[in-house]
Amino acid sequence: MRPEKLLRQINFCKTIQKESTNPFDLNVKKFIETLNQYLKTWKSRDELLLDADAISELTKIIELQAKWIQDRSSSFYIDPVLIELKLKLLEPEQLADAFFQSWHPVIALDRLTPKRLKQGLDYWNALLPFNERDDDFPAALTAEESAFEIQDLIDMSILSRAEFDKALKAILKELEALGRTEYHDFIYSTEFEESIRRAYLTSYLVSEAKAGLDIDPLEDTVFIYPSDARAGEVRSIAIGISHEDWLGWKRSQKREQNGK
Amino acid sequence: MEEESKARAERKVKRAAQLLFFRQHRIPGVKGWELKKAVGDDYIDVIEVLNSSLEKLGMEVKRLTEGKERSDRYIIVLKDNLTEKASGARIDEIAMLSATLAYIITKQGKVSRKSVEEFLCAKFPKHRVLFALDRYIKQGYLGEEDKVLFIGWRTRAEVDRKTLLDLILSA
Repeated sequence: MRPEKLLRQINFCKTIQKESTNPFDLNVKKFIETLNQYLKTWKSRDELLLDADAISELTKIIELQAKWIQDRSSSFYIDPVLIELKLKLLEPEQLADAFFQSWHPVIALDRLTPKRLKQGLDYWNALLPFNERDDDFPAALTAEESAFEIQDLIDMSILSRAEFDKALKAILKELEALGRTEYHDFIYSTEFEESIRRAYLTSYLVSEAKAGLDIDPLEDTVFIYPSDARAGEVRSIAIGISHEDWLGWKRSQKREQNGK
Repeated sequence: MEEESKARAERKVKRAAQLLFFRQHRIPGVKGWELKKAVGDDYIDVIEVLNSSLEKLGMEVKRLTEGKERSDRYIIVLKDNLTEKASGARIDEIAMLSATLAYIITKQGKVSRKSVEEFLCAKFPKHRVLFALDRYIKQGYLGEEDKVLFIGWRTRAEVDRKTLLDLILSA
């Protein structure tokens, strides 16, 4: 049996979601009947995957139907046609006036503290000159733009605090065994993904003052060492890690091994 | 003992006020878990105390629900309507924003960018419409994903959507 009819209905579901048209335009009963017809004859994996796709799209439409009813029964609901007509008739001044009367602006200030200035200076000091970097100027990461915070990962049940603490302990133990060592030699491993993971964990060791960094901008070297110091002043240090850099490290490791 | 507890409570309110007034991230305000970390488990009580002080100045702490209580964002907004001009935006830009928001709200909170553009182009030149929409997205009044526009965090924080629709209908 050719699945054109079903494909058309799947596309129709997608259009409803994309265009925000009335989800009740889809006849759910008829859709299920069509699915039933196909399912009796379908056996191959591709056919069953299409069936799963159809069910998934149908579920989304049913969810939209529930939302649609909820929305219409809420105090927000006003006939869109009526609003559209009103919007076309109103003068810009009237529209602006309506906005100002329903507007309660956010009150927030930006402040620049000496501590933040110091962090900026540290970032500047650790940053290589533009002509010595391959990549574009790396944007200073903020909480909004950066990757997930550890707390976000825990909230999303991707990682547990116990797992994270265990991984931190393991990397700290490794550092303690090695003592003072070159930073990139410490974090880079045979796999790039693993190197990123190690760099991420190491950043926590440094911010918790369980590890210290010796940065020599003139020699362009960074050394890491285990530290017993208590967390004191917070510093922002940017150390670049790139795939190219990691490949270069791998090549140099190979050369060293061959040399031996 | 009582004085010590009073001083502690005052410190917490002061800390919460600093976190809420001064921007820590790109989006103003702080999340519930950040407040909990900074002022303790009783952060909701602390917010209530702060709210009673802010009320006298015509401000309030607004809670933007984002699913879990810990992820809710707390933000300070002006409680009363503004009596004086408080925005440098041009009147036609505000009119476009007002019309866009009303249009999106009545379409269940999301609508294709193309249909908003067509709707606004009936009254404004296309280049102005495109520029304005991009600006509203940047300002957080609108969000955009896959060429679909939806209500942004800033509209949820700042605009009383029901009042806006009522005012437009009664104008």
